[in-house]
Amino acid sequence: MIVVADDATLVALECLWLVFGSAFCSGDFLRTFDLRFVAVPFFVGLVLVASPASGDESFREPDEAELQFLREIRPVLAEKCLPCHGDPNQKLRGELDLRDRARALRGGESGEPSIVPGKPDASPLYVAVTRSDSDLEMPPKRNDRLSESQVAAIRRWIERGATWPDDARVDAIRKRSKAWKAYVSDPEGEAVRVETSGGTSSEWEERLYETDALWAFRPLRDVSGEGEPITSASIDEFIERRLREAKIGSAPETDRRTWLRRVCFGLTGLPPSDAELEQFASDDSPDAFAKVVDRLLASPRFGERFAQHWLDVARYADTAGYANDWERPQAWRYRDYVVRAFSEDKDYASFVSEQVAGDELPDGDRSERLVAAGFLRMGPWEHTAMSVALVTRHLWLDDVTNSVSEVFLGHPLRCARCHDHKFDPIPTRDYYRVQAAFVSTDFADANARHVSGENVLEAKKRNQRVTHQMAGKNIVPLMKLEGDNALGRVTKKLAAYRTRARQRFAPKALSVKSTPRKGGASILEGGSLERRGEEVTPGALSAVATLAGLDAELPATGQGRRRALAEWIVSTENPLTHRVYVNRVWQWLFGRGIVATPSNFGKTGERPTHPELLDELAGSFVREGLSTKALVRRLALTSTYRRSSRHPKPAALERADPNARLFATFAPRRLTAEELRDAMLVSSGELRTQAGGPGVFPEIDWEVALQPRHIMGGIAPVYRPSLRPEERHRRTLYVFRYRGLSDPLLTTFDRPGPDLSCERRDEATIAPQALALMNGEFSHGRAAALAASVARSEKDLAAQVEALFRRVYGRSASVEERRASMAHVERMREIRRTTKDQRPVVEIPEAVDREMVAEQTGQLFRWREKLALEGFVRDLSASELSPSERALADLALVLLNSSEFVYVY
Amino acid sequence: MSIPQNATTRQAARFDRRELLFGLGATLGTVAFHSLLRAEETGPLAPKPGHVASRAKSCIFLFLEGGPSHIDTFDPKPKLDELHMQEFHRKDKLASAMASGKRYFVKSPFEFERAGESGLPMNRLFSSLRSVADDLCYYRGCVGESINHPTACYHMNTGNRFGGDPAIGSWVTYGLGSPNQDLPGFIVLPEVYFPQGGAANWSNGFLPAFYQGTPLRPKGSPILNLRPPPGISSEVQRANLDFLAKLERDHARRHPEHDKLAARLHSYELAFRMQSAVPGLVDLSRESAKTRESYGLDNEACADIGRRCLLARRLVEQGVRFVEIYASGWDSHDYIAKAHDRRIRAIDQPLAALISDLKTRGMLDETLVIACGEFGRTPDNGMRGGKKVGRDHNAEAMTVLFAGGGVRGGEIVGATDEIGEKVVEVAHPIRDLHVTILRLLGLDDRRLTYFHGGRFKQLSQTGGEVIDELIA
Repeated sequence: MIVVADDATLVALECLWLVFGSAFCSGDFLRTFDLRFVAVPFFVGLVLVASPASGDESFREPDEAELQFLREIRPVLAEKCLPCHGDPNQKLRGELDLRDRARALRGGESGEPSIVPGKPDASPLYVAVTRSDSDLEMPPKRNDRLSESQVAAIRRWIERGATWPDDARVDAIRKRSKAWKAYVSDPEGEAVRVETSGGTSSEWEERLYETDALWAFRPLRDVSGEGEPITSASIDEFIERRLREAKIGSAPETDRRTWLRRVCFGLTGLPPSDAELEQFASDDSPDAFAKVVDRLLASPRFGERFAQHWLDVARYADTAGYANDWERPQAWRYRDYVVRAFSEDKDYASFVSEQVAGDELPDGDRSERLVAAGFLRMGPWEHTAMSVALVTRHLWLDDVTNSVSEVFLGHPLRCARCHDHKFDPIPTRDYYRVQAAFVSTDFADANARHVSGENVLEAKKRNQRVTHQMAGKNIVPLMKLEGDNALGRVTKKLAAYRTRARQRFAPKALSVKSTPRKGGASILEGGSLERRGEEVTPGALSAVATLAGLDAELPATGQGRRRALAEWIVSTENPLTHRVYVNRVWQWLFGRGIVATPSNFGKTGERPTHPELLDELAGSFVREGLSTKALVRRLALTSTYRRSSRHPKPAALERADPNARLFATFAPRRLTAEELRDAMLVSSGELRTQAGGPGVFPEIDWEVALQPRHIMGGIAPVYRPSLRPEERHRRTLYVFRYRGLSDPLLTTFDRPGPDLSCERRDEATIAPQALALMNGEFSHGRAAALAASVARSEKDLAAQVEALFRRVYGRSASVEERRASMAHVERMREIRRTTKDQRPVVEIPEAVDREMVAEQTGQLFRWREKLALEGFVRDLSASELSPSERALADLALVLLNSSEFVYVY
Repeated sequence: MSIPQNATTRQAARFDRRELLFGLGATLGTVAFHSLLRAEETGPLAPKPGHVASRAKSCIFLFLEGGPSHIDTFDPKPKLDELHMQEFHRKDKLASAMASGKRYFVKSPFEFERAGESGLPMNRLFSSLRSVADDLCYYRGCVGESINHPTACYHMNTGNRFGGDPAIGSWVTYGLGSPNQDLPGFIVLPEVYFPQGGAANWSNGFLPAFYQGTPLRPKGSPILNLRPPPGISSEVQRANLDFLAKLERDHARRHPEHDKLAARLHSYELAFRMQSAVPGLVDLSRESAKTRESYGLDNEACADIGRRCLLARRLVEQGVRFVEIYASGWDSHDYIAKAHDRRIRAIDQPLAALISDLKTRGMLDETLVIACGEFGRTPDNGMRGGKKVGRDHNAEAMTVLFAGGGVRGGEIVGATDEIGEKVVEVAHPIRDLHVTILRLLGLDDRRLTYFHGGRFKQLSQTGGEVIDELIA
């Protein structure tokens, strides 16, 4: 077990040093490791194999001081001190070696002993861990500091003389002491041991876990008895109970209009229409709310909205990222698969299995399933002439190992790649066991006919357009360049992008296939490809077997591994899967999960605020056929979802629930980037609800569209918006998703990058948002369209103002608002009459000039790329409006900027 | 930036802000005014004390994208003259396709000279930079990991080869805030084209969006949507803002429970302060003709980088914490002689002017200047198109140039082997470089953490050590 500090070959070589606390008893460790390597590949639990020490008959039971050392001191030394003060493969920090008592007493470069037995306050080691002297604080990283109980244990230990048995004695105690065995099998207090597939050190295997940190691994509690389905009312009761305990009441019901807007955005990502508002306002039937929810669930817009949530988690994009950001021309089929899954209310077990192992499933629609397995290839990935095949292969293996666990099980595994998990009972062995489920998998761009409902309209026409727009002749040199065929490279590169773009309609799937390759995955020591350790067979998280009794049996054959892994994930006995999913759905409706860290159900994640409710929801979800729509329906019809955002006693609420964990009110939220863009298009009457198909290209800020993007050896082809408004004004979900280029309007409103799974959207409030909404081309375009449309339908200013309020806010203007708005429009008319500026808001360019430094001469090289946008139908420009329409557009712009529009209450 | 200057700038900024607020009249109203004053003390970009005594207050990072050859710039290798065109054998197990096949040694096509009292060797083409040689520190011990441009750029900029993590500038502004609340704390001056890997090189990653790098674009609007589109005069804009302020006040009265409304008003305030502040800031005609000339603005070979170096100085002067300038085109491969020649001429005068300008203004001690690429280049070349004087990517050696900000002047720290292939002295991985940069700015990498994805993350990923030899 060699640690080479420089060899941080891969980034996930995180916390390298954490593992190697094992160097503490390296002799013992190496022995165990070798044994396992040779003979015990599936070794579980404690290392109890025969060792030379066991031949000694004169074993004496340890005294209390020795036991305290093993229990309380040795693990702390191993985790917190030895990585820098005892790893034989690294330079000792401060020349201090803490591997045994003699060395500790000798001390480091200061020449003073680090421990003075009997005198903790005179022992630098103790002073350092108390962090009372700012010049001597250990461990150096504040977040690694010892807990109070650890500090107290060290104090006690030094007071009692700092008993420190040597390695051989520790080894003997661990293997032969009855007292130690009794302790290990039944530690006192709230802490427990967890058997796993085996850690890389005995300290890690013997570590204790606080019971409450393991909650997610425990089987679901059947709170209200077998078979009782959860109802909206019983959900409310769980919430109310906690509120009563906290001695705070819940907020009253919100008004109907607010609820309708909330539930429409919540379930479809779109605002309610005027007709929906009218209808709901006049429906006094007892099931008026249920009718709304049922209608929304049946709408195709529901599938789109929930797909957006899932695509955040699934790290979806239409390109591959890195140096070339190559298009993945059929990635959109995965996006549409997800939309269909939610629209058709696919049971969650199928949804998971198809994404993890669609290609291995025996029956059903093969094309659909090949497309679904595209989940495994959604991460950023690239292999170029510069790449090392083994490295890029592992780039993929690591992405999918981590993603499958993070997305479906709420346990990111990245940390366990290089070392046993620092907080959770997940040994690095488990990481490679899960990885072994994927090592026999290869990429496949599989034949997969289009399924019914897939949008492949106008395929021929759109392919022709790609051919035309990305033709080599659109690249024109602007200067002669001696000794460098830079132009040839630019044209060749364009052709390579064109070839991919022309594959969008091909009946193929971005998918995977299993190969007959046998063999498991090698544990990479410290995550380094150069240090291949023991090979492990396919498996899953072993703590689930220990704590919930669900073991995974993955075949040794190359085929069927992922299918078996999927079966383990979706097993009704799996304690993680269903809790994780119902919690995600809860968050998608309420903005905050019952577990506020939906992709982290481990120790460092948040604890559930309502654990019984979470279990009840998960249990009910399982019992009733894993229907997402049934779950959403119940949540949307709770009183909890109907609450006002305003509490009658804000100060008391602040005291009782300072972190807003109890759902006493409905927390206001800002529209997400996609909702904001879509809602603006709804207000202006421009949104096209056509579903599915290859990504479309809206007009984005032209400066960004023309912004050169450096790709390997050149500049990427220019961003070309789709030609017709009906293509450009589709829902944001259907916008082509680049990794290397983003619509700045969406980015500035916190659309997450697609490279990492996103568990929850941020809601930062930053100045560029104001600039985008107040000055951006998109806002002005929508305001113009909205004003023109209102001016066409209403002639009288008061009626126009009223129409604007209804279109943007979904309500009438108050008397005062109408008066002020009319005054504003009249004032703007005056200004508009005297200062005419007829320049169009946007000029559509015909070509863009490019320059870059030619690789072979270092000379600046210029060329022109023609956009070839013949047939481009422009949106209405504000400059085409009459002065009074333009004044109305000013009002529309202000309304679109206002908080009432931007927030959901 | 010296302290008195700093204070003056602060006062001026505050004064302008009051003016502006009153000027906007009822625009964003008293709610905004109060929230604004509060935000200045406690907002996400409010200046914060560092963890340790700082040497530098701000940082200008000149990123030489493409992989400049250390062997042909600051780390001459006479041994290669002997070995020129002899065959060279490599035996890396995990070498990329680029390093395979038949290879041969290549001598530098350039001549070198010693400069300054300290006698630092540099390519003769650095005819301006030699004048500030005694302020420079060459660090020859930095070791990267990736020889692919985007991953290596991500590594140098964010500490994580695979991208997605916060850039150094984001960490620094997260840790220290920024003295000027009217401008972003982390500003990027990209070229017309963005580097490989794109905006992820200055992303805030998992840190809140306040800390993202804001690119000031060299063409068009310096900040996107900074100005209203044609047809919106300032009178129209003002009237619209006034009306928006009224709606927002009414709305805030109806929703006293919603604490983000004040922050939202604040963001509109800041946006329109930027609208008035930024154009003047990027207007280089406000500099004297002599200054403009010194940065090479009238010299076509270097005017572009000169403009951005001068702008960087103006930004730092105004209290921007971290400025990153991109100067790409170093991926010269088989054409080292011609291509590096032009690149060197493009940075020589601007970089020299930046350092001496900062010094003249008494700002160099408190401004850390760094110039480096994502990796260095090899002493040998592949046989691809016959024997050419070229070099491939080399992550195992590079030179990082420092000046000011508490770094030793006129020094060489670390060394590479006799052919410049590998570091042999004072070797440190990139994370140690990052830890050192943070330290010079008064931050301790081990305390500059942010909880994300189940653990406290840090720029160095897993911790690193300060390269003491660099610090004066």
